[in-house]
Amino acid sequence: MPFRVLILSLLSISAQADDLFSSQVLPILKDNCYECHSHEADKMKGGLTLDSRSGWANGGDSGPTIIPGKPENSLLITAIRHEDSDYEMPPKKKLSDDEIAIITNWIKRGAPDPRDTQAKKIDTNWWSLRPLNAVKPPISGHPIDAFIEEKLTQNNLNFAPPANRTALARRLFVDLHGVLPTPEEISTYVEDQNPQATKQLVNHLLASPRYGERWARHWLDTIHFADSHGCEHDQKRPHAWRFRDYVIERLNADVSWDNFIKEQLAPDVFYPNEPQLAAGLGFIAAGPLELSRAGTAKHTFDYLDRDDIVTQTMSAFASTTANCARCHNHKFDPVSQEDYFALQAVFSGVGKGDIEFEPSQELKTKRHHLQSLLSAATNKDYSQLTQDRYQPLIQSWISTHRKNNAFWHPLTLETFSSSGGASLTRQDDGSLLAHGHLPDQENYTLTTSLPLKKITALRLDVLEDDRHPKGGPGRAENGNFHLSEVSLKWFPPNAGTPVSLKISRASADFDQEKWTSAQAIDGNLESGWAIYPKVDQSHHIVLELEEDFDVIPGGKLAITLKQLHPPKHIIGRFKLSATDAEDATARPFSTDVINGLAKTADERTKNEQLAISAIALKDYAQEALSKLPPKHTVYGVSNFWSHAKKLAPYPPKPVRLLRRGDIDKPQQEVGPGALSSLRHLPGRFPLDDPNHEPARRAALADWLSHPENPLTWRSIVNRVWHYHFGQGLTNTPNDLGRMGSIPSHPELLDWLAIWFRDQAKGSLKALHKLILTSKTWQQSSLSSAHKVDSTNQLLSHMRRQRLGAGAFRDSLLHLSGKLEFTMGGPGIEQFVKSAGHQGSKKLEYENFDWNSAQAARRSIYRVVWRGIPDPFMEALDFPDLGLLTPKRTSSVSSLQSLALFNNNFVLHSSQWLSDRAKKEHQDLESQIHRLIELLWLRPPNVKEQTLFKTYAQQHGLSALCRILINSNEFLFIE
Amino acid sequence: MNRKSFLWQSGGGLGGVALSHLLAQNSHGKSASDLNGGLHHPAKVKRVIQLFMNGGASPMDTFDFKPELARLHGQKTGPDNTPEGFTGKPGAILKSPFEFKQYGQSGQWVSSVFPHQAKHVDDMAFLMAMRTKTNVHGPAAYMMNSGFLLPGFPCLGAWTSYALGNLTDNLPTFVVLPDGRGLPYNERGTFSSGFLPPIHQGTVIKSNSKSPVPHLFASKQFSFATSDSEREGLSLLKKINQSHAAEHPQDSRLESRIRAYELAAKMQLSAPEAFDLSSEPKHIHQAYGTDKAVTEDFGRRCLLARRLCERGTRFVQVWSGPQGNKNNWDNHGSISKELAPIAAAVDKPIAALLQDLKQRGLLEDTLLVWTTEFGRTPFAQGADGRDHNGGTFVTWMAGAGIKAGTSYGQSDDLAFQTAEGTTYCYDLHATILHLMGINHEKLTVRQNGIDRRLTDVHGHIVHDILS
Repeated sequence: MPFRVLILSLLSISAQADDLFSSQVLPILKDNCYECHSHEADKMKGGLTLDSRSGWANGGDSGPTIIPGKPENSLLITAIRHEDSDYEMPPKKKLSDDEIAIITNWIKRGAPDPRDTQAKKIDTNWWSLRPLNAVKPPISGHPIDAFIEEKLTQNNLNFAPPANRTALARRLFVDLHGVLPTPEEISTYVEDQNPQATKQLVNHLLASPRYGERWARHWLDTIHFADSHGCEHDQKRPHAWRFRDYVIERLNADVSWDNFIKEQLAPDVFYPNEPQLAAGLGFIAAGPLELSRAGTAKHTFDYLDRDDIVTQTMSAFASTTANCARCHNHKFDPVSQEDYFALQAVFSGVGKGDIEFEPSQELKTKRHHLQSLLSAATNKDYSQLTQDRYQPLIQSWISTHRKNNAFWHPLTLETFSSSGGASLTRQDDGSLLAHGHLPDQENYTLTTSLPLKKITALRLDVLEDDRHPKGGPGRAENGNFHLSEVSLKWFPPNAGTPVSLKISRASADFDQEKWTSAQAIDGNLESGWAIYPKVDQSHHIVLELEEDFDVIPGGKLAITLKQLHPPKHIIGRFKLSATDAEDATARPFSTDVINGLAKTADERTKNEQLAISAIALKDYAQEALSKLPPKHTVYGVSNFWSHAKKLAPYPPKPVRLLRRGDIDKPQQEVGPGALSSLRHLPGRFPLDDPNHEPARRAALADWLSHPENPLTWRSIVNRVWHYHFGQGLTNTPNDLGRMGSIPSHPELLDWLAIWFRDQAKGSLKALHKLILTSKTWQQSSLSSAHKVDSTNQLLSHMRRQRLGAGAFRDSLLHLSGKLEFTMGGPGIEQFVKSAGHQGSKKLEYENFDWNSAQAARRSIYRVVWRGIPDPFMEALDFPDLGLLTPKRTSSVSSLQSLALFNNNFVLHSSQWLSDRAKKEHQDLESQIHRLIELLWLRPPNVKEQTLFKTYAQQHGLSALCRILINSNEFLFIE
Repeated sequence: MNRKSFLWQSGGGLGGVALSHLLAQNSHGKSASDLNGGLHHPAKVKRVIQLFMNGGASPMDTFDFKPELARLHGQKTGPDNTPEGFTGKPGAILKSPFEFKQYGQSGQWVSSVFPHQAKHVDDMAFLMAMRTKTNVHGPAAYMMNSGFLLPGFPCLGAWTSYALGNLTDNLPTFVVLPDGRGLPYNERGTFSSGFLPPIHQGTVIKSNSKSPVPHLFASKQFSFATSDSEREGLSLLKKINQSHAAEHPQDSRLESRIRAYELAAKMQLSAPEAFDLSSEPKHIHQAYGTDKAVTEDFGRRCLLARRLCERGTRFVQVWSGPQGNKNNWDNHGSISKELAPIAAAVDKPIAALLQDLKQRGLLEDTLLVWTTEFGRTPFAQGADGRDHNGGTFVTWMAGAGIKAGTSYGQSDDLAFQTAEGTTYCYDLHATILHLMGINHEKLTVRQNGIDRRLTDVHGHIVHDILS
C-alpha cells in the first residue's frame, strides 16, 4: 500500500533528522550557547533562547535567529562565522569550521528541531491547577481536626490542651473584631459552663458590625487600597472611602465569595438593579496611579496601569502570578505571555477616576422617572405630558401662577446685526444663534417692539448650545463670553428724539469670580459679566430700569450688547424678554404660556395647553430632583476615564502582545481572556460585541467565580486560614504556583475549598465558624513540640501572634473607654496637613491632636496616604500600600520599641487608661488591679502588685500604664 | 518559633544579626571576618553615602561637555512630535550657558557650576553614559533606587540593610536626609523596604528637628515621662517581660523584644550626640557651608551624613531638592536661571564631604555616590530650559574600591542618547553591591512567585571603574 509506505518513509526521514539534531547539533548548542541563551542557565541575553524551537524562531531583540532552509539569511550563521563585529558568537571562542558546517547544514535541511513539542507543552500537572480533590475526612468528628490529627499522629504528635476560656476570648475578639475585650465583655462567657458557649460567642461576634471592620482591613491590604494615588503626584482620592465602606458592608452582610468577585469586577453587568454595588468598582481602582506618566507617557501608562490591575486581580482572587508572564511565558507556571495580555485586554476599556452611582434602586427609579419627565417637558412630548396622572400637578401650577402674573414676556427681535461680521440666525425658540466668523470684538445691535404697556426690567438669556465650544453659551474656546456693557435706547414713534434708558441694577444667576453682572453696566468697557467655569449650561442676567418706562405703541427699543475684552469672548446664543412686574421676581414665560394663563381651559389652544403643561411639569420635576439625596461617588473605573481624564466613553483599546514586555515591540493583538491552562474553563472570552466593555470584566468575573476554577476556591480558603492561624495551609497566599510553598495539608485544603463552595455556598461567616469551632484552633499556644516541628506546620499548638497596628490602636482606645464605634463616611485624617508639592500635602503625624474628635474612630477609617504613611503604624508592620500585602510581616526592632515607648498616641493612651482606673477606683492598689485586668485580662499576682505599686507610687499611674502597654503579655495573643 | 526561622522572617534586622551572619556560618563555611563584613565575598565598602540630585540633573550642563551643542545651537534637529515621556515639543538645540574646563590629571570636563567638585575629579570615577527606561520622574526615581519602575520594591539602602545588617546598635542602619523643603518624588515610596520587613526602610530624619530620629524621646507634653520613670520603667518592663518569657518558653520573639528595648535605650543615649553638629569646629562648618544661606541645608545634611557614617550608619541618602519642578534639578524653565542656584547649593558641601571623608580615612571603606534619576534634552524647552531625557546621564562614585580618576561610557555628540559603555541602574547597583561583598545575582527574596533581586534579571559589574 503506497499510502502506508509514504507515511513510513516520512517517519524515517523525520527520525533521521532528529538523530542528526540530537547527536550533532544539540551538543554544539549546549556547550557553546546555553550558558547565555537558555532557561536552564536562567539567561536570555539579547532576548534570545536557543533551548527550544520557538526560542530561535521568535528570536531575540534582532528578530528570528534562524530562517529554516536559509543559512545565509540566518543571523545565527552570521554570528557564529564572526561576519559582523557586533555579533560575534560565542564571544569568547569561535566555533570550529566543522561545527559551523554542521549548524549550516542543519539549517539548510530546514532546521528540524524535535524539542518543538517539549517547548510548547505546558505542564499543567501542578497541585493547585488540578481539579479540587473530593476527599473525605480520615476520621469522624470535626473535619478540620480529623485532617490535622491524622498528620500529628503520623509524626507522633498530639494536640496541645485546649486554651482556657480567657485566652480563647481574647483570641476570638482580636481575630474577629480586631479589638481586645474588656473583662466585662467576656465575664459571662468565661463563667458559662455550657460547652456551646464558645460557638455562641463566635456567632455573637460574627453578627456584630465590628467583624466587617476587622476583616475589611485584610482585604484592603491584599489589594493595596489607599486614599491617595501614590507615586509622583500623590494626590488624595476624596471618594475612595466609598469602596472601603462597601467592603465592610458586604463582609457584614456575608455576601457569598463568588458574588463578591462579581460585584468588584462587573457590578454593572451582574446587578443592574442594585446600583449601590457600583461601589465595588473601587476594587479595580485600588492600586497606585502614576499621574505624571498618565500625562506624558500615555502608551506606557496604559500597559503599566493595567499591569497593576491584572496583578492585583489575579493575585487576590486566584493566587496566581500571571504578571510574571509580562515579558516571556511564565517560567514556572503554565501562564503564557498571551494569557497575560489577554488579561490586560479585559481591562483595556476602563480607566480610573471618580464615578457616580445611585445609592439604591428606589432612588434610581425615582431620579430616572423625574429626569424623563423633565426631558419630556423640555421636548414638549405631547403623549407624556397629557397623561392623566400629571393633570392635578398641572392644575395646581396653573392656579398658583394665575394669581401671580408677573411674567417675562419674550421679545421678538425685529432687526439684529453683528458689528464683528458674525451671522445671526433666528432659532425656533425665538433666540438668535451666532455662527460663521468669530471676531475678536463684537457689538450686537437689536431692535424690538415692546408687547407691554410699561416695562420695569429686561432679561437677557444666554443659552447653552452644543454647536459652541464646550457647549457654550459663549463662543470662546472654553465656552465662556464676556458681556462688557449693555445699553438701551428708546426710539419713539414718528421719529421722535431717541431716549437712553438707564439701568440701575444688573443681577445674574451666576457670576464668574471677578467678572460680575454689575460690571456689565458699570461704564467700564474692560470689565464685564462672564460665567466661567459654569459652561455648558444656560444663564441669564436681569437688567432693572432706574425708572418704570411707559411704552408708547409704535416705538422701538434698541439694545446694544458690547463684547470687547478679552478677544473672541462672544455670546453664542441668546434671547431677550421684558417684564412689567414691580419686584423683578418675574419668570420668563413664552407667549403661549402667558396667553394661556389668561384664558380658561376651554379657551386655550392646544399649543398653549402644551406649553403650560411643559413648564408646570418642568417646575415639578426640577424641584423634586433637587430634593432627592445626591448620587454617591466612588473612586472606581469607567469607560469614560482614560489617563486620569474624563472623556467621552470610548471602546476598549487594542492590546498587543509586547515582545519581552517592551512597549516598542508590539506583536499581534490579543483579545480578552484569562489562563488557558485550566481544564473546564475557556482561556479566551468569546464576546458578541468586542466594543461592549462591561462584558469583558463580566467574563473574567465568571471565569474566576466559576465552581470549576480550582484556584479561586483554594485561594480564598487558604487566605482565611492564614488570618486565623497566622500562616496559611500554604504559606504563600498570593501564589499557589510552583514558586509558592507546597500546602502542609493538601487534602484539608481541598476539602475546605469544596465544603466552602458547596456546603457553605461561599459564606465566609460559615467558614469562620467551622474553623473557630475546631479543636485545632482552640488549642493552647503552649507546646513542647518545637523540636519535631519547629515552624509548627502541623499545628500541634496555636501560633502566638502579636497585635497588628490597627488592633493595637483600637484596643487601647477601647480599653480606655474612648473608642467611638461610628461607622463609615469620609476618612479621618490623623495628621496635620499643610500645603505640599504636586497636589500632594505635607503631613505631620506627630502633631496630630489626640484629643480631637477624629482621634477615637477605628483605624480602618483612617485616611491612608500611600506615599506618606503613618510612621507609627508602619513600625507595627502596617504595610506599604504600593504593593500587594497578602500577609504582613511581624518585625521586632529597636525602632519599633522606640515607637511603642514614645509615640504620642501611646503616651496619651497611658494617661487615658490611668484616668479610667482612677475614676473607677479610689485606692492605688485597686487602680493597679483594674489596669492589669483591663490589659492582661487577669488579676496581678502578689509579686506584680508590689512591683507595680512601688513604681506607681514613685512615677504615677500613667507611667505604669506606659510600661504595661509595652509588655509582651499585652502585645501578644496566646 | 525558633531562632533561625524567626531571624529569617524578621529579616534579621535586630542586633546586627543579618543575612551575612547566617549565610557566612551556614553555607559558606567562612567566618564573617574572612568576608570583611561581606555576604558572598570580602567587602571593600562598608558604608555608602548617596547624594541624589532630585529632578534630573542636566549632564551637558555639568559633567558631559558637548561642543557640538554650541555648533548646532538654535537649529531644529529633534523630533517633530512630542515623544512619549516628553512634557512638551522639543525645541531647537540649546548649548550650555556655562563654561566648561578640564580638571586634574584625568582631564575630566566640568562646567562652571561645580567649581568645588571640579577640584576633586581625580578622586572620582564617572559613569558618563547611564540610561534609564522612562522619562517620568516618579518611575525614574523608583528605578534608580529599587531597580523597578513601579512602587513596592525595596530600594538599594533597604537591600543593603537586609543583606548586611547594621554596624552599630546606636543608630538606624539606613538613614534618609530629605531636602528641608520637602520630600522627593514618590515621597517616602522611594525609601521603602517594599516586601522586606519595615526595619529595612529608610529612617527619614529631619536634620533640623530636635528629635531627629522619629520617636527617639517622649514629647515634653507628657509630664509623667521623666527620665527616672523611663529608666526604672524599662527595668520594670524587662522584669515582667522576662517572667512572661519564662512562662512562654521557646519563642525567640519574646526574647528579641526584650533585647530591642535595650538597643532602643542605647540609641537614645547615642543618637543625640550624632545629630548634634555644634561640636564640630568652625572650619568644618565653613567648609560644608553651613554658615551660608545658600549651602546651609545641604551642607548640614552632608555633615550629618559624615557623622552618621563615622558612627556606624551603613547607608545614608542625602537628597537635593523636593518634588515638583522648583528648587530642584528639574530645570524646564531655564538652565541658566534654575540650574545655577541648585548647583551652588550642593557643590561646596559635596566637595567638603569628599575631602572630609578622605582626611578622616573614612573613604578607605566608604563609598560616595552622586547620581540623579535621568538626564535632560539637548533641545530647548521654552527659552532655555530642558525637558526630561532618560537617554543619557551622569553618575560618579568615589571612595573604597573605586579606580579614581577614571570614566566609563560615552554619550552621543548631543548628550541625547548613550553612545558606548551604556550602564543602567542595574549595573550601578550590581557594582555597589559587589563592592559591599554581595553578589547581586545571589541576593534574592521570593515574593509572589519570583525570586526578586535588586537588579531584576540584569546587571553587570562595571569593572572598568573598580580598582
